Amino acid sequence: MACFTLDDREIPFEPGETVIQAAARAGIEIPHYCWHPGLSVAGNCRMCLVELLPPPGRAPVTLNVVRWDAGRREYVEEQKPKLVPACNQRVSDGMVVKSDTSPHVQRARRAVQELLLLNHPVDCPICDQAGECRLQDYWLEHQARPKRMLDEIIHRPKAVRFGPHIVYDAERCILCTRCVRVSAELARDPVLSVRERGNLNEIVVSPGRQLDHPYSLMTELVCPVGALTAQDFRFKARVWFLRSAPTICQGCGTGCNAFLDFDPRTDTAYRHRPRHNPAVNGHFMCDEGMLSYRRVHEDRILRGVLKGEAADLAQVVAAAAKRLAKARERRGLAGLLSMQHSQEDNLATLTLGRALGVKAWFVSGKAAGEGDAILRHPDKNPNRAGVAALCPEAGPVEALATALEAGEFEDLLALGSDLPDVILERPFGKPRLRVVLASHDGPLARAATVLLPASTWAEAEGTFVNARGLAQVSERAIRPRGDSLPAWRLVAMLADALGVELGWRGGRDLRRLLAGVGAGEPGGIAADGAGDVG
Amino acid sequence: MEPLEPPIDETESRPPSAPMLLNLGPSHPAMHGTVRIVVELSGERILRADVQVGYLHRGFEKMCERGTWAQCFPYVDRCNYVSPMLNNVGFALACEKLLGVEVPERCRWYRVALGELARIADHLTCNAAMAMELGAFTPYLWLVRARDLIWDVFEEECGARVTHSFGRVGGMAHPPTAEFAAHAAAVVPFVLRVVDEVARLLLGNRIFLDRLQGVGRMSAADAISLGWTGPALRACGVPYDVRKAHPYLGYDELDFDVPVGSVGDCYDRFTVRLEEIRQSARIVDQALARLPASGPVSIDDPRVVLPPKSAVYDTIEATIQHFKIVMEGLKLPAGEVYSYTEGANGELGFYLVSDGSGTPYRVRIRPPAFLVTSGLERVITGEMIADVVPCFGSLNMIGGECDR
Repeated sequence: MACFTLDDREIPFEPGETVIQAAARAGIEIPHYCWHPGLSVAGNCRMCLVELLPPPGRAPVTLNVVRWDAGRREYVEEQKPKLVPACNQRVSDGMVVKSDTSPHVQRARRAVQELLLLNHPVDCPICDQAGECRLQDYWLEHQARPKRMLDEIIHRPKAVRFGPHIVYDAERCILCTRCVRVSAELARDPVLSVRERGNLNEIVVSPGRQLDHPYSLMTELVCPVGALTAQDFRFKARVWFLRSAPTICQGCGTGCNAFLDFDPRTDTAYRHRPRHNPAVNGHFMCDEGMLSYRRVHEDRILRGVLKGEAADLAQVVAAAAKRLAKARERRGLAGLLSMQHSQEDNLATLTLGRALGVKAWFVSGKAAGEGDAILRHPDKNPNRAGVAALCPEAGPVEALATALEAGEFEDLLALGSDLPDVILERPFGKPRLRVVLASHDGPLARAATVLLPASTWAEAEGTFVNARGLAQVSERAIRPRGDSLPAWRLVAMLADALGVELGWRGGRDLRRLLAGVGAGEPGGIAADGAGDVG
Repeated sequence: MEPLEPPIDETESRPPSAPMLLNLGPSHPAMHGTVRIVVELSGERILRADVQVGYLHRGFEKMCERGTWAQCFPYVDRCNYVSPMLNNVGFALACEKLLGVEVPERCRWYRVALGELARIADHLTCNAAMAMELGAFTPYLWLVRARDLIWDVFEEECGARVTHSFGRVGGMAHPPTAEFAAHAAAVVPFVLRVVDEVARLLLGNRIFLDRLQGVGRMSAADAISLGWTGPALRACGVPYDVRKAHPYLGYDELDFDVPVGSVGDCYDRFTVRLEEIRQSARIVDQALARLPASGPVSIDDPRVVLPPKSAVYDTIEATIQHFKIVMEGLKLPAGEVYSYTEGANGELGFYLVSDGSGTPYRVRIRPPAFLVTSGLERVITGEMIADVVPCFGSLNMIGGECDR
């Protein structure tokens, strides 16, 4: 493989790669603000300037500059090499690049950093970006000098509402145009642009428009400083208190790889953000998916319900087991799986239902929604393909409604609580018993005779198969809230109480049974596992 | 009614010879520290002794592994709460050794002066307590009054009398106050006068001398093999002092003597401490003379030292600097270091391991008191039960650093 030299290190590169890309692949970070691996090259921040040594026998390109000589107290003329932006410089074989080892580069970075902070407000204590801010990191790494400017800084608009999700602070903005490019290139809705020049330079929304495309939160994510903040995350948490768990987005059939940022002290989820996976979502996610984490805390069922009254888990499990034992004798039990739940939960329910002699299986899920050709899938269920592979014979929930109306089943064992609106409008039959394992309030949960509180995806490790048949594992972030437990554990408790053998003892057994079900490729956790904001 | 004393069998010619087990401590009026000593007595003679430490274990070293390097200072304060300034300086020097930096001259002499004042305070406390435990209460009050004046100096400098948390990596929390040199120079002669008076009171006192001389002897070879350092080792006649053997902070430029004892008994340990107070006073004088009136007290490295508060409130650069050092902690380069200084009771060592993050990977303290206390068993074996008090007092076990 062809190589080039970066700071006395031989680095291989693919044809067409830029210096910054090849270095990043070799694990070397060249400091940058405007360059983002998922966006086009803008080359405007000048932070990634590197020194390119001329080919042997050729004179270097130099610039005439003046430098202040403190000793002589006058400006002296001198020459310095013309530096090039590493983000826009294609690598060629044998090229010699100096980055950290070049005093000219160090000086350029220092100057860029000083200029970026020239009019920056003293906002770190109230800025959501503090703790993950490039300006902070690079100041310490590349400038580390106090302010020299004595004048009052230039003040610009603060807390400008760009749209339903995004608030803009022009004082903090470094005009890297990442947000402009996300809108134009990812969302294909060029609603943001740069206005004016010099001190008045700022990002604006097109007249008559709002920043309301389905990828507006991505503008905040790629913002390397605190200029764009998310309405949802604003002033909610300080990032150094948060921990991240690699998860799979539950918003639709795409199954974007994500990080769930949560506070381990209070077991509260605060933010969902994309995790780089070139095979699924690249660097990005949609607004709907980013905000889907809120379901972890909204409309939750945290206690078991028995005949409309909240009850202890042990009591509820015992009651459910007693009733299921009777239902088993009546031989009129229908089973309902859920495309909103993990493979583990569905497989557990399936084994229990089979042990109890379920006559027919059905599957519920959310109604189809909006989709696009970028990331959003019209199917709003994260595990449709998985359930289909586990139980190909499962009928749609409409068929269950018809069968219940016709009185085909006397009892129902259900996982999940989502039903499409079309079912809600129909009379839902009168089964004698409905044992429901659900994490969220919904029509089925409210109709349950016995309701068992199940955990959400954030509270348990689970496998989800996306629309393309890729099985991906979502890891546990927070501990189960309230009395809730992963649905498969509730099933195991029911099986123990009923005295039936399911053929598995725990989560590891379930995962072994699941291996190879409906999955072309395993895994899905990005190898580096690192948060990626470019 | 039962007789108060069992009737003595007159035919028995010898006293009962079965040894008696006696438990002293962990909380005992004659113990200055929480330690348990189980002695096996024949009459009043100690046949065997079992010294049990650890009652004050608070897990300092483990606690250091949370937080940042700077957050260790309050912990090391509480290791030796009799001379915390010396611990502050010792820990700061260890971090600086790992960083590979040297503090400015003003900081060096400031640290020397403060450290020697702390050493004087420590020795005053030790000798005062020892005299009091032997019944001499007046010297205790006099010496502790002198210590209070030293604490006044500390209070002026850092606001705290006992646990200062005044050291910083790369400097001190504040530069010396304008009055520091004059204040310290006024206090030291007073302290020396009190020390002389106390010496006259005690060292001509037959009872006091009989309680100390020849009691609790330790040979130089045994002391070295036990890892003794500091006044306890020097009382055995070994002139080892880290300040002389491995000078730091410019001790090699200063003129002072290392007092040694001859037989390593309680008397030698008492008098070595008295003399060290006089030597420390000499050092304080010299350090004050060398202390520049102006100049930086901390190194000039924004990665290590906090910016001035006024700049933090006004400029984004200083805000970022403050944020990085406080929230992420200053980062010591990955690696390990052993740094040692002369604490009040001997070699105070810090073994630090850094993984390059802002949080210590491991902090190990080599407390002088732990190794000195390990010799207590040998010191009191063969002595009378009443000798435990001066022996234990003269070893000056500091529970905080011994048990950590």
